[in-house]
Amino acid sequence: MLIRQLSVFLENRKGMFAKIARLLGDNGINMQAFTVSETEDFGIARIITPTEQTDRAMALLKANSYAVSVNQVLYIKCDNVPGSMANIMEKLAAAGISVEYMYAFSDSKSSVSRVVIRPDRLEEASTIVQEL
Amino acid sequence: MIWNPDIECMPREQMRELQGEKLRKIVAHAYANSPFYRKRFDEHGVHPSDIRSIDDIVKLPFTIKKDLRDNYPFGLMAVPMTDIIRLHASSGTTGKPIVVGYTGRDLDNWSEAVARCLTGYGLGKNDLVQISYGYGLFTGGLGAHAGVQKIGATVIPTSSGNTQKQIQLMQDFGTTALACTPSYAMYMADEIRKAGIDIDRLKLRVGIFGAEPWTGAMRQELQNKLGIKAYDIYGLTEISGPGVGGECECQNGTHIWEDLFYPEIIDPVTLQPVEPGQKGELVFTTLDKWGMPMIRYRTRDLTSLNYEKCECGRTCVRMGKIMGRSDDMMIIRGVNVFPSQIEAILLEFPQYEPYFLIEVDRVNNTDTFDIQVEVRPECYTDQINELVRLRQKLASRIQSVVGIQPNIRIVQPNTIERSEGKAKRAIDHRKFE
Repeated sequence: MLIRQLSVFLENRKGMFAKIARLLGDNGINMQAFTVSETEDFGIARIITPTEQTDRAMALLKANSYAVSVNQVLYIKCDNVPGSMANIMEKLAAAGISVEYMYAFSDSKSSVSRVVIRPDRLEEASTIVQEL
Repeated sequence: MIWNPDIECMPREQMRELQGEKLRKIVAHAYANSPFYRKRFDEHGVHPSDIRSIDDIVKLPFTIKKDLRDNYPFGLMAVPMTDIIRLHASSGTTGKPIVVGYTGRDLDNWSEAVARCLTGYGLGKNDLVQISYGYGLFTGGLGAHAGVQKIGATVIPTSSGNTQKQIQLMQDFGTTALACTPSYAMYMADEIRKAGIDIDRLKLRVGIFGAEPWTGAMRQELQNKLGIKAYDIYGLTEISGPGVGGECECQNGTHIWEDLFYPEIIDPVTLQPVEPGQKGELVFTTLDKWGMPMIRYRTRDLTSLNYEKCECGRTCVRMGKIMGRSDDMMIIRGVNVFPSQIEAILLEFPQYEPYFLIEVDRVNNTDTFDIQVEVRPECYTDQINELVRLRQKLASRIQSVVGIQPNIRIVQPNTIERSEGKAKRAIDHRKFE
């Protein structure tokens, strides 16, 4: 399914992520998943919050002078067994879809992993993974 | 429109005669009444009787800012304090403030100069001029104020700061002209945009911008954002204040009122006059300022002079844009860098905000050259590659203009200081002991 993800521009300095984590935490917003991509001097924190909290999180970050954007990403569950991710990625590759970035989270006890993918052709990729 | 056609359009030969006559008088006055100038002239081996025409000005010694500081507060006055009716002082951004004093005649001449500028911008009795230069010791506010009154327009003396109120009054009063620093105008334009105010509903049509160097690209941006014609007003406290020169409707150089303020361009290293039209350091002699005459004062501003008659009909010499300062020029890895160059380049990129901060340091015997910039809100994308590409484009462009590649650092929104006065654009951390 498609879900909304927040992308926050952060300077690559000590404590920058702590600040937004604190800001969200103090306002009762939970980060269900996140990833940080960085260059030498800046990074982008991509954050998934519960759907009903996304707008509030966005407004809160903006009000605190952060550059933040909302993007749609593909959110899928896949079996937490060897080879299941390969099946998904092969399908996308076969359809000529490239992935800008992706991140996953799971633990060894759960039977499914959760994966967030940002493909170039969102709708099409979404259809493909549903068919799996 | 021309305020004083006899002077502003005077044939050049006649102007030179007038300047020569005035120079003789002011030099004699300075020598007779200012112990500072008497001593300086004597040391230099020059006497007022050596000055017969304006060409003889090169025989006179220079005056520098340090002379004003060393003689703080009143050491350069050439009249008794009973004849001084106003004092102003510089903002002192680079040390002890400097103090200047004016006689009644000096203030009249100053307001005459500002009146010429304002008339050149197309302003007259029907205009409402909002003066957002600071009122007080700074010459900006009161200097512009007197000129606006002289041409019979209406002064709205808001002074600087309290931007929301400034914008409110601009709407309520129907301000037609705004006088402030270009960086404050840019800030105000952004605030107007943020407040969702329709520019077409403002009556603003003229910007009177000065007190800091700005570029043609910045002019374009201010004109577009505010729906105005943006004009340069040039001046400096030592020479009297704003209005030493101003642009005309041609926007092709700043006319210097050279019957009052005689400009020269010198090579800042050899101190010799440059060929006409060449770039160098601007030097002023006040030809009709009696309280505190300035003889061959080195402004440190780098520019050039154009003596061709202007299309507007004025013959008064035109000064080019200030291309930097001979003293805030930075030498980075052996290359001369001026903050104004960086500003001009940034304005070529619609993706970037016009604010920046240069930081220079020396690490392992090599100069570092960092520039902090902000991108426009809509350009902070989720795409890291886009931002990296944008950063590289800016770095390459700066390298091609300046000659060395900077390290561009994109910082978070609103982290670079927006100045309500003179913007701090560069910090040099290098130690040269």
